[in-house]
Amino acid sequence: MASKSENVRARIVKAYELDEIEKLIKDAKVAHVMLTEAPPLVDEASVLTRLSALTLRSSDGISCSCCGVGPFTTRAQQTAHYKHHWHTHNLKRKLFGRKPISLGEYTARQDESSNVSASDSEADDNPDAAATELFALATRHCKAFYSNPKGQVFCIYRCLLHHRKEEMSHDGEGHFWARRLKELLSPGFGRWAVLMVSGGHFAGCIFTGGSDAIHKTLHSYTTRRGQGMAQATRDQSGNAPKSAGASLRRYNQEQFLAANRLPRTAGPLLRRFKYNKEEFLMHVQNILVSWNDDLKGCSLVFYRAVGTINQAALFGKPSPLRKEDPRVRQLPFPTRRPSFKEVKRVFQTLASIEVYESLQDFQKGLLALNGGKIPSKNNSDTNIKKSQKQPAKTFDRAKSRERAPRELPTQVTSSEDEGPCYIDSETPAGWIKTLSEQSSNGIITNSRKDLLNDCVITSCVDSESEKEIVEKKEEPRRKKKVNKKPDDKAVPVKKGPPKIPASVKNMWRSISDKDSTSLDTIIEAFEGDIQAACNTQDPIDGNTALHKAAIAAKPEMVTQILSAGGDPCIKNHDLQTPYAATPHADTRIAFRMFQAQHPDKYNYSKSQIPGPVTPEQLEQEKERKAQQKKAKRQREKERQVDKMKGNAFLLLSDDQKLQYLAMDNEVVNHGLLFLREKFQSKNKGASYAVVSCPKYRSSTTGASSARSPAFTAIGRSGR
Amino acid sequence: MAVRVQFENNNEVGVFSKLTNSYCLVAIGGSENFYSVFEAELSETIPVVHVSIAGCRIIGRMTVGNKNGLLVPSSTTDTELQHIRNSLPDAVKVQRVEERLSALGNVIACNDYVALVHPDLDRDTEEILADTLDVEVFRQTVAGNVLVGSYAALSNRGGLVHPKTTIQDQDELSSLLQVPLVAGTVNRGSDVIAAGMVVNDWCAFCGLDTTSTEISVIESVFKLNDAKPTAITSTMRASLIDSMS
Repeated sequence: MASKSENVRARIVKAYELDEIEKLIKDAKVAHVMLTEAPPLVDEASVLTRLSALTLRSSDGISCSCCGVGPFTTRAQQTAHYKHHWHTHNLKRKLFGRKPISLGEYTARQDESSNVSASDSEADDNPDAAATELFALATRHCKAFYSNPKGQVFCIYRCLLHHRKEEMSHDGEGHFWARRLKELLSPGFGRWAVLMVSGGHFAGCIFTGGSDAIHKTLHSYTTRRGQGMAQATRDQSGNAPKSAGASLRRYNQEQFLAANRLPRTAGPLLRRFKYNKEEFLMHVQNILVSWNDDLKGCSLVFYRAVGTINQAALFGKPSPLRKEDPRVRQLPFPTRRPSFKEVKRVFQTLASIEVYESLQDFQKGLLALNGGKIPSKNNSDTNIKKSQKQPAKTFDRAKSRERAPRELPTQVTSSEDEGPCYIDSETPAGWIKTLSEQSSNGIITNSRKDLLNDCVITSCVDSESEKEIVEKKEEPRRKKKVNKKPDDKAVPVKKGPPKIPASVKNMWRSISDKDSTSLDTIIEAFEGDIQAACNTQDPIDGNTALHKAAIAAKPEMVTQILSAGGDPCIKNHDLQTPYAATPHADTRIAFRMFQAQHPDKYNYSKSQIPGPVTPEQLEQEKERKAQQKKAKRQREKERQVDKMKGNAFLLLSDDQKLQYLAMDNEVVNHGLLFLREKFQSKNKGASYAVVSCPKYRSSTTGASSARSPAFTAIGRSGR
Repeated sequence: MAVRVQFENNNEVGVFSKLTNSYCLVAIGGSENFYSVFEAELSETIPVVHVSIAGCRIIGRMTVGNKNGLLVPSSTTDTELQHIRNSLPDAVKVQRVEERLSALGNVIACNDYVALVHPDLDRDTEEILADTLDVEVFRQTVAGNVLVGSYAALSNRGGLVHPKTTIQDQDELSSLLQVPLVAGTVNRGSDVIAAGMVVNDWCAFCGLDTTSTEISVIESVFKLNDAKPTAITSTMRASLIDSMS
């Protein structure tokens, strides 16, 4: 079947061979698939008759058209059917244009569907599938399909028959298509123009009866993107070339600069320059203007112009062509770069009408042309074989490719005094060998042997002795890896806790002692490096002497240690500086005062001390605080007095309260009016109103208890 | 009563709103005009709530609901869900569903008793739908379209479906839904019915482009003014004949 479909070739008849065409299109009918249905008109009358007819009767006998079952006798039966998987399955089949299957078939398929997918079993059974596919192809195809009484089927480019935007009259019998086909034979139809513009190239030709009458091509000299300045740069280097290409480039560049009124130094702009668009536009339009009369005589004008510049070239102001003209039509297929040869090819393609001798030939031919899947096992097999023979040429860059095995580069040592480096002796295998020798000597326990095999050497050692051995063995290796100079001190090896001298311990003890307040005696009597002693960190918490003094809240000691050389920038294990560690305000002040006295002794920026402070400043601060406290106390007193006043209202008898409230309301109702009157009359009362205004406002917003006395004042005096 | 309304110069009001018998959701918009039309018509009877779904305004297409409940897609944020729960009546169940076909409004068409759903809808979603909205669920298509929610607008009194629905299909659907159906258009010939209008049992809102003929069909099929179906033929005949000549 597949081989047969490959053999189907259409006979080509050219549109300008009038005798052939006449024979062909005699009584031709447009293919059924080409006919578009008229849009359904919502006919009021029918809608309303249906509305009245839709009154539901329970015994109506509604059936499911999708599955072809029914009529249902009860609602339960109906809903049960619609909820059945079988119905859903048929619904989906219907969507894909397949026939519904019966319940028996469905259940049978469900049983075997555990390993076979539904689509496989359906590929062969359906003649309708091809028809649906055909329909889908035909409706959006760039060709129109006809058949004639001889049984021949022929396809012709739609753009020969009608403009793309032309309204299709929805006649059910295809009169429109038949009429348009007859126009092919009308005199003067054979004169076509083909115009192509793209990327600085123009090609145009007017054909009469299959041969070219007038033609013209135009190629503006283009440079690649980013190469616009190349000629100018070359010329500036002296020794300017005199070739034709060079002078063309120079000319184009000049034109471009002149057209855009740019200075000669407009480098960046020029670099983007590809070809001289303005000039190209002008040239194309000149050609079209000179062809004016010939173009008017053309029955059809085909064009290809993508983008604004190309469109402007064809349809710009001086050009005789208009886009709205029904004769002017776009080319329906992709084309190559505009050239005379290409224009001729386009014309021949457009003019060719494919003629198939029978409907079957046509179906096969069309499906094959469009890559339609013709269900055939042989076909798919050959496809698979092909794909196996030809590995994909393009890489899928989204996926990681197989990595080619490659040797690692050998390590190169740069230090000369170490001498040649033998990689072999350095390999882990060698290490394992030596270590396993030791393990056989009983130094490393058996349980570690497997670890050794996995090259986990260093981190799995517990006891001191083992550690030492491993380190000893490891040291030369590490040296070479890191490329250490021999004069560098040995690698920082984890040692046990550093020993704390007894004198330092003594100092710490006296700091944390509750009774002692001064370190003077100890510092004076200290032997050795007092500064180092002060900065020695306790291995437990990382505290220095200064930390200890600060935490113990002893400002005097802090000052003494600081002057003895204790660095305030050292952080303990909690990342606290001594200043941050202290909980005591006076100690903090001691730090700040020391900074004021010795601003250059330490780099305080890392000590977290907020800034120096002098005794005078401290004094001022104290005074300010005292004042604040005083003011606060006074405010509190006032508040208490207010509260007492508020309570006075609560203590009143009910009658008095009512009286107050009545006045309160009155003021709310009339107060504003009253105030406004007073304000406007500008007599004595005016000043009163102004004065009382803020009072009034504040009292309305305040609490009701506080409000009343104020209100009475206004109300009474107002009256 | 059918009202014409626009959402920011867009006629697809069904995209930006959701109307049921117990609440109305409207999209958060630049202008309050859209909201105030709904508010004016509905505020006495049901709450009108500003809502967004996953920060988007196409709430009508993303959500599905009736008087019993509301389903929102999984993309809805917690804040939005909380806001919806707070604003809707307590009797309305709000539920978030994990569904591949996340535009629930496009794949589900429902009234208070029956829901038509996309044939590919997840079984779990179908169950949640039946529980939350208290409806009978049927997998169906409308005029060969799987997006039943887009091409059908239903209320408890009637329904409008895609203009190309065959008469046989309409008969079947209306017998399933137990309400009369009419094939028609909104917004001057738009076939995406549900995107062009929202409807409940006493009120409908459609795009500003909707013609008077379309309005009269809507009003008669949804029985919005309790007019008898024959009213159209008598009162509208003159204008109909004008337009068809």
